[in-house]
Amino acid sequence: MQTSTFIDQPIKKAESRAKYYFRKFFQRKTAVIAAVIILIFLFFAIFGPQIAPFDPSLPDYDNLYGAPDAVHWFGTDEFGRDVLSRLLVGTRNSLGVSLASVLIGAAIGTFLGVLAGYYGGIIDSIVMRGSDILFAMPDILLAIAIVAIIGPGIINVVIAVAVFTIPSFARIMRSATLSVKSSLYVEAARSIGCKNSRILWVHIFPSTVQSMIVNFTMRIGTAILAAASLSFLGYGAKVDEPDWGAMLSSGRNYLDIAPHLVYFPGLLIFIAVLAFNLLGDGLRDTLDPKLK
Amino acid sequence: MYKRKILFVFIFLTVFAFAAQGLLTVSAQSDNAAKAPDQDLVIAFNNDIRALDPHNVSDTLTISATRTMYESLVKFNEKQEIVPLLAESYEISDDGMTYTFHLRSGVLFHDGTEFNSDAVKANIDRCKDESLRQNRIVKQIANAEYPDPYTVILTLAKPNNTFLNKMTMFDFIAPATIAAGEEKILREPCGTGPYTFKDRVEGDHVTVVPFEKYWDGAPQVASLTFKAVPEDGARVAMLQTGEADYIYPMPTTQIKVVEGKKDILIDAKTSNIMRYVTLNTELEQLKDKRVRQAINYAVDKDAYIKTVFNGYASKVYSCYPETIQYYAPQPPYDFNLEKAKALMKEAGAENGFKLTIWGDNITSEEKGMQFIQQQLKQIGIDVDVMPMEANVVAEKIQAERDKAEVNMWYVNWSASSFDADGAIRAILHGESIPPGQYNSAYYNNEEVNKLMDEALAITDPKILQEKYARIQEIVWDDAPWIFLASDQVISGYKSYCSGIQLYPDGAIDCSKAKLN
Repeated sequence: MQTSTFIDQPIKKAESRAKYYFRKFFQRKTAVIAAVIILIFLFFAIFGPQIAPFDPSLPDYDNLYGAPDAVHWFGTDEFGRDVLSRLLVGTRNSLGVSLASVLIGAAIGTFLGVLAGYYGGIIDSIVMRGSDILFAMPDILLAIAIVAIIGPGIINVVIAVAVFTIPSFARIMRSATLSVKSSLYVEAARSIGCKNSRILWVHIFPSTVQSMIVNFTMRIGTAILAAASLSFLGYGAKVDEPDWGAMLSSGRNYLDIAPHLVYFPGLLIFIAVLAFNLLGDGLRDTLDPKLK
Repeated sequence: MYKRKILFVFIFLTVFAFAAQGLLTVSAQSDNAAKAPDQDLVIAFNNDIRALDPHNVSDTLTISATRTMYESLVKFNEKQEIVPLLAESYEISDDGMTYTFHLRSGVLFHDGTEFNSDAVKANIDRCKDESLRQNRIVKQIANAEYPDPYTVILTLAKPNNTFLNKMTMFDFIAPATIAAGEEKILREPCGTGPYTFKDRVEGDHVTVVPFEKYWDGAPQVASLTFKAVPEDGARVAMLQTGEADYIYPMPTTQIKVVEGKKDILIDAKTSNIMRYVTLNTELEQLKDKRVRQAINYAVDKDAYIKTVFNGYASKVYSCYPETIQYYAPQPPYDFNLEKAKALMKEAGAENGFKLTIWGDNITSEEKGMQFIQQQLKQIGIDVDVMPMEANVVAEKIQAERDKAEVNMWYVNWSASSFDADGAIRAILHGESIPPGQYNSAYYNNEEVNKLMDEALAITDPKILQEKYARIQEIVWDDAPWIFLASDQVISGYKSYCSGIQLYPDGAIDCSKAKLN
């Protein structure tokens, strides 16, 4: 009897920890709403082309600058194309670019940050001073500079946004690593003779994941904005591709006669960025051990 | 939590407020009284006025400014006919070699000296300098004689029927100013024109005031200022508020906004600007004439004019617009997908192919290129739109012939001298294949080349009409371009302005300007 309770206990504990986080997260209504909005956006990104009511590149020269109506909910653009369809199809571009770039940036930044935090010394100096240099430049300016050097295009925008995402991850992961490094169980692991790589990736890294997830969600908002800005400036998506930033950019020429061409892409960018930031807030409140 | 909700509501309200404000400003425009507030005429251009040396200007806007202060022997009137200006009359010898000009008497330069054959000599001598743009006119003159103060006889090196057209662009500077050198010409322009120079701030404005002793009566405004306002929206706003009395160009998308407001009028005119897309005839996919014709049939010109120019452009029926000499309309390539597909099939290209299109990265050009992309998709041609910085395109077009990468180039051409040769030589003659000139279709038709060269030496308008008609017929059938449209030049102005002439090349004549 006694033994079985002992075996039961740790399993129960693990369940309750996940449950605890979920319960905590669901208490934050804004974060939940944000998560739902993001799920909807992800749905659009995956199934956008299928659910779009019209072909996003099909022109209709008899219905230029059409105001929103029952047929075209978000109106039509300067070629008579359906704005709603273009936005739906463009979701993949805008979200894809930001997800991909933050993913790359997070991977590189985390790797460098954990190494710097664990080993210290010269590695730490190099990584941190490198981050400082990147931090010294405004994000979007840095991205523009990178794109100006390697040329415009979606892939290059991903690279540019990834590069300016690296330092924030490097710095956060370094400090997380530093605080975990001195904990007792790491010392225990070291004293029983674990290799550095094992201590790093098996014992330290999992404890820092929380900080990474929070920063990840927060950075996506910035990345969406950056990708849209680069497209707006003509460095990102091609002029004929449906893309939120590019649509906003071409729409501004017709602000006087067709404000809906700017309004809807702008609104979508706004909602997406806000949703990711609120989700990030919620996750931080839930996961951050300091806020327990 | 509560605070965040408030923030939410606040942000949404802000967004909606902005949107609503945008809609309101569109609908509520002020209706000013149609009375000029002052006698200072302000004209806003989309570009800066460059250096004011009339012998070295090339852009139309600067020419509009120099023309207020300088005049030529002959000029174009609003019907594109050549009429006397500083010359009272002129004669051309039968062989087309000798031009005799009888100068107007009693014409004064702004410095008080008289305009006579000595002044003409000083100007012609100055332009023997090859670094000056107007050297292209003077170098055609083999011999100049000045038998008396009011007669000038110019003999050409070889016959050239466009000489008189080119002379409309040759302005006269006061001899004393020429003698004082370039610096003086730029700082204190001195001609015979209706206005005298007042001041110029680079990148901002040029101001001129009426010349009281102008031979044809001084203008009636107190002053005339040309302002550089590159931003389309800002220029329109200046017109609406009255900060500017006249703007050029008027952006076509904004016409709807100001149209119908009682104090703002729009002047839209047929231009000499030809809009086209060059089709590289040396390219494997575009070698076949039938493919190029199919492309022309596949592009809906009406929709093009409506979409890209908001209706402010005219259809073209030849390789140059009707404002140019010896225009001969051809049977149009009316939008016909069946015919286009049939031609593609005949040429063995029914499965389509891929092409790139180049052009400047400015709004209107990007729009035009996307339109071509949409149209050619209908006959299976997949077009990659590649907008580039103007200088980059120019550089890529001027690549060596064997390294040419150009497929299609979205471009336009305007011949300011309004002569047929100027409208086609640099873009269709075999000798104009890049690098050097702009025949990026790599079009080289022996007969067209020969006709163009022969025509230069002919003075009989009847034979010229025949020759140029034949050229237009061949070019139209060979279809080295997508023949798109001819822009309209459009200006917007306050209803109290009058007497300002807008020319088909976008030049503006203010000599008779009045503010009521």
